[in-house]
Amino acid sequence: MSFVDTTAAALSPRARRRRILRRRLLRRPLALVGLVVATAFILGAILAPWIAPYSAGATDFNAILAHSSSKHLLGTDELGRDVFSRILWGARASIEAGVLATLLAMAFAVPIGIVAGYYRGWVDAVIARLTDVLLAFPFLILAVGLAAILGPSLTNATIALGVGAAPALIRIARGEALALREEDYVRAAIANGAGDVRILTRHVLPNMLSTLIVQATVAIPTAIIGEAVLSFLGLGVQPPTPSWGVMLSDAQSYLSQAPRLAVYPGIAIFLCSLSFNLLGDGLRDILDPRTTR
Amino acid sequence: MSLLRVEDLSVRFETDDGVVHAVDRLSFELGEREVLGVVGESGCGKSVSFMSLLRLLPETAKVDGSARFGDADLLRMPTSQLRRVRGREIAFVFQEPMTSLNPAFKVGNQIGEVLQRHLGLSRSAARRRTIELLDLVRIPAPDRRVDEYPHQLSGGMRQRVMIAMALACDPKILIADEPTTALDVTIQAGILDLMRDIRERLGTSIVLITHNLGVVADIADRVIVMYAGRKVEEAPVRELFASPQHPYTNGLLGAIPRPRTVATRERLREIPGRVPSLAELPTGCAFAPRCPRADDRTRSQVPELREVRPHHLVACFHPGPDEEEAVA
Amino acid sequence: MSESVLEVDGLVKHFPVRGIGAKGVVHAVDGVSLSIGRGEMLGLVGESGSGKSTVANCVMRLVEPTAGTIRLLGEDVTHLSRREMRARRRNVHMVFQDPYSSLDPRMTCGQIVGEPLDVQGLARGRALQERVVELFDRVGLRDELRHRYPHELSGGQRQRIGLARALAVSPALLVADEPVSALDVSVQASILNLLRDLQEELGFSCLFITHDLATVEYLCDRVAVMYLGKIVELAPTAELFAAPKHPYTQALLSAAVVADPDVQRSRSRVVLEGDVPSPLTPPSGCRFRTRCPLEPRSAPASHEEEPPLIDVGGGHHVACHLVRPGADAPQLLDPAELAG
Repeated sequence: MSFVDTTAAALSPRARRRRILRRRLLRRPLALVGLVVATAFILGAILAPWIAPYSAGATDFNAILAHSSSKHLLGTDELGRDVFSRILWGARASIEAGVLATLLAMAFAVPIGIVAGYYRGWVDAVIARLTDVLLAFPFLILAVGLAAILGPSLTNATIALGVGAAPALIRIARGEALALREEDYVRAAIANGAGDVRILTRHVLPNMLSTLIVQATVAIPTAIIGEAVLSFLGLGVQPPTPSWGVMLSDAQSYLSQAPRLAVYPGIAIFLCSLSFNLLGDGLRDILDPRTTR
Repeated sequence: MSLLRVEDLSVRFETDDGVVHAVDRLSFELGEREVLGVVGESGCGKSVSFMSLLRLLPETAKVDGSARFGDADLLRMPTSQLRRVRGREIAFVFQEPMTSLNPAFKVGNQIGEVLQRHLGLSRSAARRRTIELLDLVRIPAPDRRVDEYPHQLSGGMRQRVMIAMALACDPKILIADEPTTALDVTIQAGILDLMRDIRERLGTSIVLITHNLGVVADIADRVIVMYAGRKVEEAPVRELFASPQHPYTNGLLGAIPRPRTVATRERLREIPGRVPSLAELPTGCAFAPRCPRADDRTRSQVPELREVRPHHLVACFHPGPDEEEAVA
Repeated sequence: MSESVLEVDGLVKHFPVRGIGAKGVVHAVDGVSLSIGRGEMLGLVGESGSGKSTVANCVMRLVEPTAGTIRLLGEDVTHLSRREMRARRRNVHMVFQDPYSSLDPRMTCGQIVGEPLDVQGLARGRALQERVVELFDRVGLRDELRHRYPHELSGGQRQRIGLARALAVSPALLVADEPVSALDVSVQASILNLLRDLQEELGFSCLFITHDLATVEYLCDRVAVMYLGKIVELAPTAELFAAPKHPYTQALLSAAVVADPDVQRSRSRVVLEGDVPSPLTPPSGCRFRTRCPLEPRSAPASHEEEPPLIDVGGGHHVACHLVRPGADAPQLLDPAELAG
């Protein structure tokens, strides 16, 4: 049963599409929540220099391990630094690492995966086997190993996370390309006389877009957690730059006295990851032209 | 003697886009040893109607009406009782034998399971009966086939296995939903022969749901034509083809290349427009927007079924066969 | 002068099978020869496994033949590379069976129809749009549907889009692979009518692939019947249906149901025993012999030699050991029974 969309008659195709997407988003409260929270984190990270009450390293030895107060929203840590500010500043590292690592991974993985899946043959065999080897390593082990080799810094951590995330994305892109090349409309494009480049860019890639977006939005939280782990281990962000992972690491020694020092960054990691996850889930649905809601 | 008597069967689905009236007040009777053909195109409600009888529809379906089978109402029976009817007294055969058979189990096990569950047979007795059933549906070398997996069988064979499974408990009614649509012409002919055989030898009544008028012409005794969830015509088979009353039936018959159209090479009958959305049925006759005989009356009132010829019902204000109606 | 638009000679297509344990070759098409003249519609009929779709894919060069030649408008295109084929794709295009998967869900219908023109560089910008509008009109679709996405259209409308796309470049040959099988009966009629009208108007040739005999009889000028990768009979339509010579053709015709109870129930049927053999291991000699009711008569020749496709007169070709030119073909049934 198909229900004809009776609303838009006079709008341009572009405007119609925007309106449909907007409507679909509004019908998905979870995705909306994800969007709002993720945006909040991103904005918080970007605007940290302006909205953080204190600078990242500002210490106050008179107010060590203080509880929440009007001066310190979430209290202070063992060096008297404002936790709330550090969460905001830490968001920069997390989001930067999370988003950049994912983008890096996609930029690398998607073309490779597409080539493997579309062309098959020996190219596919080689790529698939290499990917399998990399996938044998758990993501974090891989990332940690690479970061250790590259040396501790946020940039290197980002690279390590990107490389760690790539194999799974290659496999996904490959799987999509493999399925899409069998679609009749790809055969029709060949029948039109389209060359491979055109087919890949006009027909294959757009039709895997929603899957890729979902994978990206799911990879971001993994990278965020990865960054936290790397920083926790001292392989990522270096002090005094704050990061949620570093905050977690520092909080270890004070768990009995001030467990909240671990809880706050923990919640930040959790909420940030979850919001991207929810957003990704919703986006996959919304972007598919065939969705009826 | 009617085996199944359905009255005012209605099925509604509640969806995000409103209420979809999949079936609207369908009534019919099925006699013993009878083959009832149910004809219609996609979205007419033919499959949904029969699935609703055995409660095979999802939760979002709301079913009204009555379906008397024996002295009970299928639609009102407690589920435990219905489970004893399903597969045992009323059996279903679906269109796609590959997806209805479990690829992970041998064919013999699947049929055997039905026998053990419903008839309480032992494993060995079930196996013997299974081989008998496979033989009944004319599968060659049944004692070997019984140990094969679905993928080792051809499409036609799989469909026979499905039929064997359906017949396992000697049901009174076999409901076959597009059983031959996915099959080749020569295989289809074999399945139709088999169904005829089943009716003769076992006395099973058959409901044959299809969009293919040729299949109906081959084995049906009576035919129901459905459109947009409603029954629009019902007649004995020869009567229906010789003197189709409803413009939709006329349209369907005119749309297939038949000996006359082939000989004269005239255009095929087209039915303009498309099937209305079941969520937004037009007022009046559902077929009116596409009907060459429509007038103000048909657009405002819903025609009820009337007997216009002996045993021939039609829901139309202007019934009658086409006299070389205007072609597309 | 009527030259052939398409000439297929000895076409062979084998697909290697790689798997755990299973190894071998699927003999999808094993020596098919046919030709299509200008403005002619040739029906290619067969059941599943007959190889008819593979023939279509080879003619379209979506797949490279294993052996044999394909000549399109007189030119040998059998082994051309993708790049070389590109220019030739102005001469042949295809309508696909599945109206759902043959249109890119992320493109508007207008873009889909315009794409061949764009790729072939035949029109740009405003000229392209005008041509698309014209094509929509030709296939009976409202202009505004150009901006819709495929999923918003019905199956019949989608097939019209498929047709419009295929005809955009004004090809000399249209390959239609089961173009109406996935549609409702009433919609099939409109697409078949449309196809016929367009063919009369535009004069293209058509290779019409289907399993439905009634459609073939109605639309096509000549018919080729395929079984397990080979053509078993090829004849002008009326001739094939009135006097089929190959036992398989006779069985096929007798099995097809006719929408007329009196006729249908008074017919007899040729029953074919057994299943279609696997294309991995086709029978030696005549491939139909394992199911042929006349096999006792044709043995042992039919076990050893493949029957060649010979002309028995009047453009009627048959591949059967029991059919000789000039002599009557063995009848499995009274010819009157075969007709619908």
